Amino acid sequence: MKPPPDQEQTPTGDLNRRDFLKRLGYASALAVTAGSLGFALYDLKGPAASKGQKALTGLGNYALKTLASGPGKMAIVRGTDRKVMVEQGIKALGGMEFFIQQGDRVLIKVNAAFATPPALAATTNPELLAAVAALCFKAGAAQVLVTDNPINNPASCFEITGLAQAARTTGARLIPPHAGLFAPVSLPQGRLIQNWPVMAGVFPGVHKVIVISPVKDHQRAGASMTLKNLYGFLGGRRNVFHQDINGIITELSQLLRPTLCILDGTVTMMTNGPTGGSLSDLKETGTLVVATDPVAADAVGVELLGRTLADIPYLRMAEKAGAGTADYLKLQPAMVNTSA
Amino acid sequence: MARRQTKVSPAQRLTGYVILTLLALITVWLFIQQSRFNPAVLVALRAPALKGHVRAGSGAALAATAALLPEVTGFSPLAPVESYNPDTLSNKIDGKAELYLSAGFKEMSCRMYSLTGPEPAHVDVYLYDMGTPQNAYAVFSGQRRPGAPGLSLTANAYGTANALFFTQGKFYVEIVADRASEPVKNALQTYATALLAKLPAPQGEVKSQAAAFPKEGLAADTVRLSAADTFGLEGFNNVLTGEYTLKSGKATAFLAPRHTPEQAKADARRYLDFLAANGYKKIPAPGSPEAVTALDLDNSFEIVFVHGRTLAGVHDATSLAAAQELAAALQTKLKGKP
Repeated sequence: MKPPPDQEQTPTGDLNRRDFLKRLGYASALAVTAGSLGFALYDLKGPAASKGQKALTGLGNYALKTLASGPGKMAIVRGTDRKVMVEQGIKALGGMEFFIQQGDRVLIKVNAAFATPPALAATTNPELLAAVAALCFKAGAAQVLVTDNPINNPASCFEITGLAQAARTTGARLIPPHAGLFAPVSLPQGRLIQNWPVMAGVFPGVHKVIVISPVKDHQRAGASMTLKNLYGFLGGRRNVFHQDINGIITELSQLLRPTLCILDGTVTMMTNGPTGGSLSDLKETGTLVVATDPVAADAVGVELLGRTLADIPYLRMAEKAGAGTADYLKLQPAMVNTSA
Repeated sequence: MARRQTKVSPAQRLTGYVILTLLALITVWLFIQQSRFNPAVLVALRAPALKGHVRAGSGAALAATAALLPEVTGFSPLAPVESYNPDTLSNKIDGKAELYLSAGFKEMSCRMYSLTGPEPAHVDVYLYDMGTPQNAYAVFSGQRRPGAPGLSLTANAYGTANALFFTQGKFYVEIVADRASEPVKNALQTYATALLAKLPAPQGEVKSQAAAFPKEGLAADTVRLSAADTFGLEGFNNVLTGEYTLKSGKATAFLAPRHTPEQAKADARRYLDFLAANGYKKIPAPGSPEAVTALDLDNSFEIVFVHGRTLAGVHDATSLAAAQELAAALQTKLKGKP
């Protein structure tokens, strides 16, 4: 007699249809339960700053320890080709291997504040970013991260400035801002940066920090260069700091000590900064600064803008706070001319 | 039908227990690792990947100016229109928003375009509603590029190699390309004409502000309306300035019309106090009327006087003679005015 359909044996005789369906039901229920549990526990935003969370006191000191006792290193490079200029400038300081060791994870802070094309020079030049990232990888960097916090529409800012493409072509990883990256920071002796959200989440695991900035006029600060570029690490309604722009930039100089600062004055935005808009706002100043001291680098930038230190008060204030020296000649800069 | 029991050998049972133990150990290890997860890895893994295209901005809801941006052949929008209000403007132009806010900014809409055709370009258009023609003129003149030729588009318009800037009534407009060429410039003009056709007809348009100043020696493209904190004095607002090159030196003339003569006098006192606090000393100005006050600091000369309800004067003259010459010309120009 033929057994009923639900009692049919498998060809091997080990499993009948009912057992199979039961097991399938159990397995499906288990999978759904596990998946639901995982989905319920998944934190899309990551660990956000919360009340009671202990505030950080800064973003870290990434300056080379070997340079701690001296005045630092600087190269002032003249020319027009940013790639050649940065390569020659870093070579003059001992090569990228002096700054980046095998296996280092390098964070590059760019200025991607506005969604404007590179020709308008309101943001870090993408060719320069690509050249620096390539040098880092060549020196043995395990990973190169590129970041900034343009408040408005970061994706557009990174794309239109060409910085996303530059990162992609060199193998660097772009880290756009998101809530999980921000943590409260209270700067010791800080007056303005107190329990303020700062993009600290990009720093853990990072060994070296390079800041690449354009030289620009700035309607509030007088000039936007290396130190002003650090403003991009701030989150929240940071425009409130514009009421004390010199104070906030001075505090930013205490927030982070970069390994290397690259100040791009190949083309300088002389007027109507920081957004510019007209090519007539720009001037070919043919200078690129590579320095370990952000204040010294910016002091060169001030000259490119045709201004004096008195016009940019935050530089003297940052110097007084110990962030570096405005007398950049103390660094005995290597002078390199790539046009020759 | 009775379920058939599967026979499991001791070796199979042992293997099963070993696998289950290993899985349990891995679970415990994962929990421990999760509790001290390296944030750098977290960042690298969780950073939302950028999409390789441009998205619309996250400004306020679309404002009235958004509807005024025209559709023009050859201009392909790269993203939807964005609008910004006084609370969000600094999200778009961080570092420059205060210039607009201090001049009475109401709202702004902007859009990115790809200019197609023989000379492709990236074009940004910004349409600012500044509330009044005076406010629009303030931001227009405050950013005027020296030497840029004026255009006949409107009463206040000029162009540079890659951009057009103009006011129309209460609106201030910037049309900016990322390159300079004749075809691109012509395309920008076409867009500007289409935009002007959609803007309301001007009412109370600020005509040439240069007409308020004596002509001789004035560089017309330097005439500016400073909306706030003129010459660094907080609250010294709505001051018209113009730069002069005279035989006796260079100087800047200023005119600050007020509602009443008393207000003009009060502002004059405040400005004189401000100069004194910054180290300026009163000096005699032979040949000048008594009501004129002259000051000097390191060969930078200032003259301040009040005519009716207008506070006027000369700022940062390179010589006393230049300051006096310009002050006299200003007084002549103001004669007969309230």
